[in-house]
Amino acid sequence: MDELESRLVNCFATAFPELDPQEIPSVSMASLASWDSLAGITLLSLIEEEFSISISPDDAAGFVSFELILNHLRLSPEAAK
Amino acid sequence: MTMKLAEALKVIQSALSDAPRLEVALLCGFTPLHLKTFLRAHLCKLFPGRSPNVQTGLFGDLIGNLQRVAGVSAAAVVIEWPDLDPRLGLRRLGGWEPSQLQDILGEVNRSCDLLQTSLAAVARSTPLVVCFPTLPLVPVSFSPLARASEFTLELRSRVASLSAALSHLADVRIVDPQRLDALSLSRRLDVNSDLSAGFPYTLSHASALAEVLAVLVLNPQPKKGLITDLDDTLWRGILGEVGVQGISWDLDNHSQIHALYQQLLHSLAASGTLIAVASRSDRSLVEEAFAARDPILREADVFPFEVHWGAKSESVARILGAWNISAEDVVCVDDSPMDLAEIKGAHPGAECVLFPRENPQAAYELLERLRDWFGKGKISQEDGLRAASLRANAELQHGIKQESPGASSDFVRQIDGKLTLSSQKQPLDSRSLELVNKTNQFNLNGRRYQEAEWQNWLNAPDAVFVAASYRDKYGPLGKIAVIAGDLLNGVNVNGVNSDSSGKRRLCIRTWVMSCRAFSRLIEYECIRWLFDKLDVEELEFDFLPTARNTPMQNFLQEVRNAPPEPHCRLSRAQFLKSCPTSSHVVEESPNG
Repeated sequence: MDELESRLVNCFATAFPELDPQEIPSVSMASLASWDSLAGITLLSLIEEEFSISISPDDAAGFVSFELILNHLRLSPEAAK
Repeated sequence: MTMKLAEALKVIQSALSDAPRLEVALLCGFTPLHLKTFLRAHLCKLFPGRSPNVQTGLFGDLIGNLQRVAGVSAAAVVIEWPDLDPRLGLRRLGGWEPSQLQDILGEVNRSCDLLQTSLAAVARSTPLVVCFPTLPLVPVSFSPLARASEFTLELRSRVASLSAALSHLADVRIVDPQRLDALSLSRRLDVNSDLSAGFPYTLSHASALAEVLAVLVLNPQPKKGLITDLDDTLWRGILGEVGVQGISWDLDNHSQIHALYQQLLHSLAASGTLIAVASRSDRSLVEEAFAARDPILREADVFPFEVHWGAKSESVARILGAWNISAEDVVCVDDSPMDLAEIKGAHPGAECVLFPRENPQAAYELLERLRDWFGKGKISQEDGLRAASLRANAELQHGIKQESPGASSDFVRQIDGKLTLSSQKQPLDSRSLELVNKTNQFNLNGRRYQEAEWQNWLNAPDAVFVAASYRDKYGPLGKIAVIAGDLLNGVNVNGVNSDSSGKRRLCIRTWVMSCRAFSRLIEYECIRWLFDKLDVEELEFDFLPTARNTPMQNFLQEVRNAPPEPHCRLSRAQFLKSCPTSSHVVEESPNG
C-alpha cells in the first residue's frame, strides 16, 4: 500500500469508524450500508481536506467505491503531491 | 488554527458515550452538515464530563425550528442571508433586478421582526447563542463590489438593529463578528457545497464558527483576579533606578502600551475583577509614585499591594489568602520570565503571562487575551462591591483577631450586620446562578448547573430557593449566598410534604456562600431562617466532599458535632443546641 492509498484508507476509517481497516480497500456504496448520501458528503469533504483538492459534482457522482476514488486520486496531480 | 473535519470526527468518536447527556440545539435554515459535526466536537472538548448531542431542525424553516425547540440546555441559532429573504441565497431564483431591491428590503424587515419575536420567545426558557449572517452578500445590488450601495448598507443596518435589540435580553449571547473574523481568515462561502448539499460554508469557516458557538454555549466563568508587576509592566522603567519622575506611560516616552495596560486594568477593576500588585521594590517609593504621578490604575483599584524584596510566589500566596480564592482563578502578569517561573512553580494553577515590554504589538494582543479571560456578559451590583468588601473583610478579620479566643460571635454582634433573604424563584436571577457556578469553598457539593437545568429545577413546585444579601458597618457585600433544595415527597394526613417519620424535611441540594462573607456567622442565620420560615423539623444535606470545600465540611462538622457525610441530617433540636445566638438583623425581601 503506497502513501496515497494509505491516506485514503485513513479518510475511510474516519468516515466509517465501524469498518475493519482490512476491509476498506474493497468497500463500495453497494456493499456498505452506512455509506448513505450524508456519509458520502462527509467522506468527500474528508478527502478534499486530506488531499487539499476540490472535487467537482460530476466527479463526486462517480465516487461510489474505494477503488474508483483511489483511481481518481492517482490521476490527480494535486492529490499526488 | 481551526479544527479539521477528520479531527472533529475523531473527537466525537472518542467521546464518552455513557457520560450525562448535554443536549444542544443547532437551529439554522441550511443543511447543518459539517457545522453540526464541528459544534459537537468543540462541545466534547469544552464539556469533558458530558456527552454532547446536537439536535437540528428542518431545512429552510428557521422560524419553525425555533418554535419547535424544547428540552435542550442551550440553542445555537445561525442566521444567514437567505433566512431573511431567499433571494439573498444561491438556491432560489427570485430575481436580482434593481426594481426588486426595495421589495427585498421590505421582506428582510418582516423577517427581522418575526425573528425578533421568535428568538425572544425561545430566550424566555432556553439560553440562546445567536449568530447573524457571516457570509458575503450575493451580487444582488447593481453597484460595483468595492462600493457599498444604499441597499446593502440598509440591509446590514437592519440586521445590526436586530442584533442590538436581542443583545439586551437576558440569556441571549450574540456572536461577535470581530472574533469570528479573527478565527475565520480564509474563504467562507462554498458555492459547490451550497448548490450540491445545501451547506454553504467552507470547512474552515464551519470549524471557526462552531468554535465560537461552543464557547458561547459554555459561557465560561471569568477569572477572578489579576496580579501585576510594576516595573516595566504597569509602567516603563525600574522605579528604584530611575526614580518616581523617571517612570513613564505615554506616547512621548514610547511607553503608551503601559498606559493602555493601566487603562485596561482600571476598567477590569471597575467591572469587578480583583487587582493586586506583586512587585520587588521599595514600598515607600511605590506609594510616592502612586501619589505623585497619578497613574490611570488608581491606588484604590488595587488590593492588596505586596511590595517588598521577598519571593513573588510568597506575595501571590498572601494575595490569594486576602482574596480567599484559588490560584486557578488568577492571572499573573510580569515582565520577568524568571519571576513567572517561580510563581508557576509554587502555584501551578495560576495563569502566568509575560508582559512583552519591547513588543507593543504582542503587548496589545496580551490586552485582548486579558479581556477575554476576565470578560463577562453583564456587570452586576456585586461586581462594583467586590474590592471594597475584601478590604472591609480584611478589617473585620483584623478586628476578630483582636478579640479573645471564642469571642468572635460577640465581635460579630458589634458590626451591625443585616441579612436580607429572598425566596423569589422568578425571573431567573443570573447572579445567584453565577454564585452557584463560581463558588468553591463554602459549597455543599461542587455541583454546577446550566441555566436551563437550574430554571427547570426551580420551576418545580416543591423546589425551594433562597438568596441572601448582606451588609454591615463595613459596607454592603451584595448577594453572597444561595440555598436551593426540595421539600421531599411523602404526604402525611395534613397534606404536608414529609418523610415516613412524618417530619417535614428540606433536602438542601445546593448551598454556596461567597468567601467574602466568611467569619460573620451568616451560615447559622441561614439555617435558623430555614427552620423558622419553612417550618421544617429536619434538614438533609446533599453533601459531597470536594478538593476545595473544606469550609463547608468544617461548618457541617461543627453544627452537627459529627463528620459530614452524603445525605447527613440536622434536626431543629440539634441545631438549637449548637448555634450561637443570633448576631444579625434578618429581613425578607420579596424582590430578590
